[in-house]
Amino acid sequence: MNKPKLIISSAYAAIVTIIFVVVIVIWAEFSGPLKDWLKNFSGHHWTSKSIFSVSLYAVATVVLYLSPNKHDDDRLKRALGFLLISTVLGAIILALFFTGHHFKLF
Amino acid sequence: MDIVAILQSKPVLIGLHLGFGIIGIDAFLWLLGKLKGDGGSRKSMVITAAIGVAAFIASWLAGGYYYVAYYGTLVKPIIKNGVAPWVHNIIMETKEHIFLFIIPIAMTVLFITLLKKEDMDRLRLRRLALWLAGTVAVLGLLIGAMGFIISATVRWGAIN
Repeated sequence: MNKPKLIISSAYAAIVTIIFVVVIVIWAEFSGPLKDWLKNFSGHHWTSKSIFSVSLYAVATVVLYLSPNKHDDDRLKRALGFLLISTVLGAIILALFFTGHHFKLF
Repeated sequence: MDIVAILQSKPVLIGLHLGFGIIGIDAFLWLLGKLKGDGGSRKSMVITAAIGVAAFIASWLAGGYYYVAYYGTLVKPIIKNGVAPWVHNIIMETKEHIFLFIIPIAMTVLFITLLKKEDMDRLRLRRLALWLAGTVAVLGLLIGAMGFIISATVRWGAIN
């Protein structure tokens, strides 16, 4: 097993998953048809988001790991740094979005 | 009442959600200490991270079942009609979606622990691993604090 490549693949897959969650959450708040589709897919919009986010992470990790791209040490550190920043930004964006949405700023 | 019915009851689901969440947070704080102090074997770090990941998955399943089965019909109306509807609109909405970040980040930390100590030092990953393990623990603690606010709001909403 190529462990550094597995870590890079997991880090980028996690970043993609965080971006997906942020985008789908905000998009669904403004799009009734999307929220209805998410509800109808599994019976609850949050269950659908959970299923899609876990599936996306798993598939993206496997695809990136099996891709022919070679890794280098700097890329590994960069991927983990991006993951750290994405996590903090994702959490802040969601908190600010729901705060603004509650106060009807948008 | 059979065991399945007991496991599906509201207080047990909340207890499992919280209990497994605490185990997950503790595991990643423990891992943080191991990474910081360069203590313990690689095997012990892998086991600690794996316990953390498994606990967060269990917390997710128990909390998710409770949320889907009971929250919308029993809890949300009390909060929305109470003195602090913002607790659902801001705190619960943020909590339920930030939770989705935890497993991918925790899995990435688990994969980092698979590296040999000398590889982690050669790749200079210890500091980043420490930050990521800390981030998982802090996210868990934030989610726990949000859960406390939600529960308190329901109690006061029910009283008012």
